[in-house]
Amino acid sequence: MTGEDPGPLIRLFGLTGGRARPQGEAFDLVAIVTTVSGSYEPADLIPEHRAVLSVCRRPTPVADVAAHLRLPLNVTRVILGDLRREGLVTIERPRPVAQTIDERIYREVLHGLRSL
Amino acid sequence: MDYAASEPGATAVASALAIKILIAGGFGVGKTTMVGTISEIRPLHTEELLSERSVGVDDTSGVEAKTTTTVALDFGRITIREGLWLYLFGTPGQDRFWFMWDELALGALGAVVLADTRRLQDCFPAVDYFEQRGIPFVVGVNCFDGARRYDPAKVRRALGLNETIPVVLCDVRERESVKHVLTTLVTYAVEGV
Ligand SMILES: Nc1nc2c(ncn2[C@@H]2O[C@H](COP(=O)(O)OP(=O)(O)O)[C@@H](O)[C@H]2O)c(=O)[nH]1
Ligand SMILES: [Mg+2]
Repeated sequence: MTGEDPGPLIRLFGLTGGRARPQGEAFDLVAIVTTVSGSYEPADLIPEHRAVLSVCRRPTPVADVAAHLRLPLNVTRVILGDLRREGLVTIERPRPVAQTIDERIYREVLHGLRSL
Repeated sequence: MDYAASEPGATAVASALAIKILIAGGFGVGKTTMVGTISEIRPLHTEELLSERSVGVDDTSGVEAKTTTTVALDFGRITIREGLWLYLFGTPGQDRFWFMWDELALGALGAVVLADTRRLQDCFPAVDYFEQRGIPFVVGVNCFDGARRYDPAKVRRALGLNETIPVVLCDVRERESVKHVLTTLVTYAVEGV
């Protein structure tokens, strides 16, 4: 599964410094990430960080950020943890499902699924 | 969050919500196929990196794994509307990746356990896992061609499932069938909330 070409792995290692876990408070794979508007964007941001800030101007789930960046989820999470520490993004805190889904959302989901 | 909770007009942003659903079951039961049938995004399949600590002992050599390894993880997305998404995550089948399940399961709305009647026992670990953690799940019996069509009641009995847990026959290659499984799960999960 690891393949023959170590190139991609080395690049990923560079993005995370080999870390497997993000800094700070844990967050979910589908937590909503939002770029902090008006924050001062450092000039020396690496392209992946810049891409995250651009995508997350619209609130975007972690898994979608990974899809946009074409990076593995856990590499994406390390990057997001770094950006949060820099104060450039906010990441929604884990919420129990019962608090997130009300009758209206449930109806919307059912309707949305049926009309796919 | 610093959302302006006091501003009723700000709900479009404040209510952005991604709902997580897990797809579990034994190897070759159709998890990847199911996610692919319904998801609107590709790649559906990412290679996840695992740290040496997570992996522990390397299966093949029996020594402590020093290098990073990867595990394939399927994920798919269904957009209900701007700011409301369903995410499907296929749980990795191999036993040594169980620790990933805890992370995937955290905050999930529920799970679909796919079963193949020719080897029903393959889905026991997934059923046990969700039962023990009180995570709502439905069982989807994937009707492979040539497999005996089981009566859902028999599958329920064979798996020792509680009467309330939905058991549905499905063909994960068919969109309508996958939609049916997902609406069954969402309805069942929301009733329990
Ligand atoms: N005939 C038939 N084949 C299926 C069905 N679902 C999956 N398959 C095939 O079974 C194989 C394994 O499916 P896959 O989705 O990779 O299983 P996974 O290991 O659970 O991800 C693939 O070759 C699929 O095309 C089904 O409902 N009917
Ligand atoms: Mg698969």
